[in-house]
Amino acid sequence: MSATGKLQPEPYETARAFCITSAFWMVVATFMGLLGATELIAPDIVRIGWLHFGRIRPVHVNLVLFGFVTPGLLGAVFYFVPRLLRTELYSERLGLVTAGFWNIALVAAVSTLLAGATQGREYAEMIWPVDLLVVMVFILVFINLIMTVARRREPLLYVSVWYACAAIALTGATYVLGNVVWVPDTGSLVGIPDAILLWFYGHNIFGLLLTPLSLGVAYYVIPKACRNPLYSHTLSLVGFWSLFVVYTHIGTHHLLQVPVPTWLKVISIVDSIGMVIPVMVVLINLWYTAQGRLGEIHADVGAKFVFTGTIMYFFASIQGSMMALPQVQRVTHFNNWVVGHAHIGVLAFSGMIALGGLYFVLPRIAGRPLHSRLLADLQYWLVLLGSAGFAVVLTIVGLIQGQAWLNGETVYRVLPSLYPYYVLRASLGAILFSSAVIGFYNVFRTLYGQRGAAA
Amino acid sequence: MKMTPRAVVIGSLTILAAVVFVTIWVPWVTRQTTPSEIYRERTELEAAGRRLYIANGCVYCHTQSIRTIDWGMGAERIARVGDYIADRPILLGSSRTGPDLSQEGGEHPDDWHLAHFINPRYTRPNSIMPPFAFLGTEKIDTLTAYIQGLGMQQADRRMARQRRWKNEAVRAYEAGPEANVAWLNQHVPQGWRDLPNPYPTSPAGLARGRKLYQDFCLGCHGPVGDGVGPVQPWIYPPPLNFTVLKGRETSGGILYYQIMNGITGTAMPYFKKDLESEKIWDVGNYVAEYFIDQSDANTEPRGIDAAYEP
Repeated sequence: MSATGKLQPEPYETARAFCITSAFWMVVATFMGLLGATELIAPDIVRIGWLHFGRIRPVHVNLVLFGFVTPGLLGAVFYFVPRLLRTELYSERLGLVTAGFWNIALVAAVSTLLAGATQGREYAEMIWPVDLLVVMVFILVFINLIMTVARRREPLLYVSVWYACAAIALTGATYVLGNVVWVPDTGSLVGIPDAILLWFYGHNIFGLLLTPLSLGVAYYVIPKACRNPLYSHTLSLVGFWSLFVVYTHIGTHHLLQVPVPTWLKVISIVDSIGMVIPVMVVLINLWYTAQGRLGEIHADVGAKFVFTGTIMYFFASIQGSMMALPQVQRVTHFNNWVVGHAHIGVLAFSGMIALGGLYFVLPRIAGRPLHSRLLADLQYWLVLLGSAGFAVVLTIVGLIQGQAWLNGETVYRVLPSLYPYYVLRASLGAILFSSAVIGFYNVFRTLYGQRGAAA
Repeated sequence: MKMTPRAVVIGSLTILAAVVFVTIWVPWVTRQTTPSEIYRERTELEAAGRRLYIANGCVYCHTQSIRTIDWGMGAERIARVGDYIADRPILLGSSRTGPDLSQEGGEHPDDWHLAHFINPRYTRPNSIMPPFAFLGTEKIDTLTAYIQGLGMQQADRRMARQRRWKNEAVRAYEAGPEANVAWLNQHVPQGWRDLPNPYPTSPAGLARGRKLYQDFCLGCHGPVGDGVGPVQPWIYPPPLNFTVLKGRETSGGILYYQIMNGITGTAMPYFKKDLESEKIWDVGNYVAEYFIDQSDANTEPRGIDAAYEP
């Protein structure tokens, strides 16, 4: 090997960088969640200004979205896009630079949010300079993907590639729009239209980023693990286009009890119910692909994560459609039911698939088996237990709150009855934090451990 | 359908553009910009307080969005578009870990907020809000200015009431216990002053009263009812020492009325939203029995024998 050759990044260097990024930030993100949950049961436990609940809550949310789940999914994307196109990634070096800037953006986000530099809009908290960094990394990812597509040796684009390219392009656009980057000081519109835009954007972080990337990973991992061709190309098409048509309309279902135009509420409710179509079309396609081959799914821990994630997608989506019904929302709005729903969607669905994609590609990009299949299995069960526990506990809390408020109880009066569930929630947070530590150790040892390396 | 890169990227972006046109752009150009009847502009101090509200993530636990189905604080007025026309960003919130604050302005006097921000458990023992002592009193005052403006013109009316009655309450307190109690009692409608506590004092009732006292009253009036709870250093006039009520014609009805309605101008809030009727009588009995050491429970006039009596 020549001297310059050593400076060339190896194949899949970008995928490796995103995998370790995801594993690391999952530790930080779940720690923030655990800390926040602990503060809800012992509010005087932390007296440091920048670590109180109002500061760490947005850090938890943004790190889960942009630190753990998205990089995890991109780790798989940067592996399967070149594979599916029978080519190499356009530029591993650009990919590594992107991963570097991604981490810089995350550090910037965490430090500004903890310092109280925030725009105060849920999911769009990051201040303008950090927004620019985020937009830049999305552009860099998009360039790398689209140039890889342009240089492909495989003429047909597989459905996973559609989802990956569309997710990055659409999220780049909605991020700019949702964060109102043309107004650097507040990053917001004014009055009710700001709420409409915010929830359009907030919902699209799930609908146009996490969901398509997760589905792209599932479309890759499930047929591959089952060694079965995809059930239906037509269903892939219907699922892909209907997702973007339907999902983008429904953000206003967060504002059903707010004075926004009624026609907009009607659109959001109808399309929320309509979400059954893109969800079920994709799930039928994936589940029929795996029909009779669950043993193969079970045999690969990555595929096991991914398949479980698809089941959680079903629960999260059907629940989400129900929650858009005004009568249901009278009980569920403004309380922990919604937080439970968010944990099913982001942790149990896209988080599970991010971990699954990561574990599926890890042996392939590391060139050796997982450091420990046992630890990966343990993490699977801890994440499953933790997220299912969140769903149950937070739904109970939400029902207590929602029903009590409807009956005229004050928020303060209901607090003591929530306490035991808040303790359970923090315990589940401890389980998830442990699972993240185990996962980071396993990923790190697999990628950088010395075991089996040539002397 | 053949999925080319162009079809994927341009196609999905076109869908997005169409949806943005319908669900974002159309509501934006047709937005209502007329202020509502309670609207007023924020002062500079209030605007600075709002920035602190944003910086400290208050929006994650407090909504500013009163719905038609709400009963709690501020539910007298359902939110309208014109309330929000100057809010940039809008702070509707998404979770009521704490109460809605749309109409919080003037619910309490400033000194109550100071004590509450320093440690929310001082004024509300079961609260799970973080302590904001780290902000320092200057920032807490700025934040309080914003909070006291929530509700806009309605908040201003309540604040004017707070200031007016605070002057009287301070004067009465400084005139000594005798005059203070007389002043307190004289503002309770006569019917309530003549009314004894209709609930007989029972061990079960006292136990309920004790629990309620701990959850709602202890922070100000203290564990033994002498008015030196943790709030005491921060508020003026200070919390009442219940022993001064003894022998000064404080009936069960007066206690009930003051707990139900609060004493505007002082840090004593109203509890009619938190506590139902029996609970207020119970806590009144508890205070009378243990701290005032003088109870009129179950004395004449009692009316027709109540069905609940043993």
